[in-house]
Amino acid sequence: MVLVSRRPEWPEISFEERIGTTRFDVHERAHIVVDGSVCTDCSTRECIVACPANLFVPTADGGIVFNYEQCFECGTCYLVCNREGAITWTYPEGGHGVVFART
Amino acid sequence: MLLERGPFAGSKNMYGGVVYPRILDQFHPNWWEEVPIQRWITRRSTMVLTATQAMTVDFRTQAWGEPPYNGATAYRPDFDHWLAGKAEADGAVLVTSTTALGLLRDEAGRIAGVRTDRPDGDIHADVVIACDGVNSFLAKEADLFGPGQTEAGNYTVGVKETIALPKDVIDERFGVRDREGVDIEILGGTGGVNGGGFLYTNLDTLAVGVVLKLPALGAQPRRPEEIIADLKAHAAIAPLVEGGTIVEYSAHLIPEAGRSMMPRLTTDGMLVAGDAAAMCLAAGIWLEGVNFAMASGIYAGEAAADALRAGDTSAAGLAGYERRLGDTFVLRDHEKLRRAPGLVLSDRVQHHYPQMIANVVERVFRVENPRPKPGFRRIVREERKRAGIGLRDLARDAWAGIRSFG
Amino acid sequence: MSTDVRAATSTIGVCWKWVDVEGDPRRAGVSAADQAALETAFSIAASLDAGTDSSTEITVVALGPVAAEQALRGALAAGAHRAIRIDASAHLPSDRVAAALADALDRVDLVVCGDYSADRGSGSVPAFLAAELDAAQALGLIQISVDGRVTAEGAPVVRALRRLDGGRREQLTVTPPAVLSVEGSVATLRRASLPAELLAKQAAIAVLPGPSAAEQHADTIRPFRPRPRVVPAPVGAGALDRIRALTEAGATVSHGETVTLDPPEAAARILAALREWGYLEP
Repeated sequence: MVLVSRRPEWPEISFEERIGTTRFDVHERAHIVVDGSVCTDCSTRECIVACPANLFVPTADGGIVFNYEQCFECGTCYLVCNREGAITWTYPEGGHGVVFART
Repeated sequence: MLLERGPFAGSKNMYGGVVYPRILDQFHPNWWEEVPIQRWITRRSTMVLTATQAMTVDFRTQAWGEPPYNGATAYRPDFDHWLAGKAEADGAVLVTSTTALGLLRDEAGRIAGVRTDRPDGDIHADVVIACDGVNSFLAKEADLFGPGQTEAGNYTVGVKETIALPKDVIDERFGVRDREGVDIEILGGTGGVNGGGFLYTNLDTLAVGVVLKLPALGAQPRRPEEIIADLKAHAAIAPLVEGGTIVEYSAHLIPEAGRSMMPRLTTDGMLVAGDAAAMCLAAGIWLEGVNFAMASGIYAGEAAADALRAGDTSAAGLAGYERRLGDTFVLRDHEKLRRAPGLVLSDRVQHHYPQMIANVVERVFRVENPRPKPGFRRIVREERKRAGIGLRDLARDAWAGIRSFG
Repeated sequence: MSTDVRAATSTIGVCWKWVDVEGDPRRAGVSAADQAALETAFSIAASLDAGTDSSTEITVVALGPVAAEQALRGALAAGAHRAIRIDASAHLPSDRVAAALADALDRVDLVVCGDYSADRGSGSVPAFLAAELDAAQALGLIQISVDGRVTAEGAPVVRALRRLDGGRREQLTVTPPAVLSVEGSVATLRRASLPAELLAKQAAIAVLPGPSAAEQHADTIRPFRPRPRVVPAPVGAGALDRIRALTEAGATVSHGETVTLDPPEAAARILAALREWGYLEP
């Protein structure tokens, strides 16, 4: 079902602006590592659509690039991923990562 | 010792909504005089959305706007920070910016503390209370989950925009004054992904978002922020939210399956509480979690203290935890509502009934003179068929509903 | 500042500016450069102390309200020996900040600062501080090392690398007393051990009064507008000529000029040129 409705007149913001409203104290160590070689023959790629932070980006050569910096640390990606070993998931170093304020 | 991986307690926490703090009565009488909340919920709306229709059941009571209150919107970074301050004032040592990496075990293999990511960071403890959230790596490491309990299908992801609007604009749009607030729970409006939507009033922001079932979200093409954008564009929602600016965007997993996904809660030297123990109550008309987390934390602390006094921190010595949970709402509500999450997230409740209900109401109130009004039963029968709901399914769901909620 | 450098123990001061950018003390703190300054102080101290019995003391001074003490406890947990808070708001002019810091850092040999604060000020406090302490300054450093060389008086020699325009680097040799400021990239502040973190929760933090209310002047905030240039009335017989003269259309005007002068004369020449071109009051 797609909602058919009147689009109100407010400027939709870009994803970069959207994620830019949230604070991330990024640590130099990537807390989530994606082994893109496991992803090349994955046809479902649930991570690309499901990651709320939009961190999984398909590449032209059929792989997936992952950026750990603006990550909510939610866990959606490792739960939806069907490929054993594609995602290595840990929490960031203490004191780093997402810092919420008004949620 | 209270370990927090964020820079302050609450900095990693996000939720879809409303806290019900009455569990605090026993520790902090008149807690409402100091708790950092946004608004007291005095209006509670349940909304059913289809692509072009909306039906709302709207309840208001001024009683919830006075002590001892009922529910409140609050920013978790504020509320949890306040709560951690209370724990510190009562003697807990709060260590922030410290992530628990795993469990320590003694020679006998019994849990004996946690390893943290600080140098020299091992903490030896007689009892570990794992309240490390929905992803609880501690509960997983202790092997407390049964087969299938941590499958993706048991989780939803909540995604939320905090939208700033002036307080008087919010007051006017939602028909409230002062600290009164509104909680709107939405069935439908999630772009075909099973789940739901929500809209809450804070003092000078709104919380708008969706809860999306995990495998379903990954199997369709719309991204979470697009689904929120569609919800915000719906004719019933747009006038409430438009003109605001997003001031924070957030997401968090929700353990959605209730009792059926709860791990073993006790093992030698360790208790599991809160989201780590899947204690979120996602039962359609009741959406709670913070109260379950607070209560289970309280009972875990009490049981651990008893066990320490008695000198037995084995699972048997810690049995007071589950006894307390079983005697109170924590497990009793979850037991009673154990079928509710499955029912609420079923395809019929998610897609077929909303369409049927909205069409029935639309036809009941549509005046097509000179044709006389059709009979109510006829409308229901026709709309049930049009929505593709068999009588047997309806009966079965009705029975499940009565058994779940009754 | 003690100009006689004691051979046995020296003291390194680290200056922090605690800034609450968002109006939320829980999310406030010091800049990456300030954190790098503390780590730089640790590594200088380790180099100075290597192979000797001496123990270089590190004092961290932060300007800020009570909430800043959390950051100072972090510094103590990471290994600083003393923490001092100067009770003042972050909205003081740099010279006042530097004077307050200089009072707190009475007897130090080296001062390490971050070259920017979390609110991205002008980065001028280290320079003012060097003036207050009558010390040498080496600012905007990207690399610092102490290789054990000492001056004739026994003071350690600090070798520093400074970033210049156009990708160039300047190698500096600095001897105490000196103020150094570092970029955030020079070092990552170490994580405090758990026992140190627990100890620091109870540690005493000295509090010094900030500049008195009378000395704290309120900044008037107004939008930035470039100073208007004074342009002589256009000369010309016809309107077109006068417009040409005003807009400099068709003319090649160059303010460029290459001169070789001694620094004092060069400074005077620059000022004269700026006055001549209308950028400064005559």
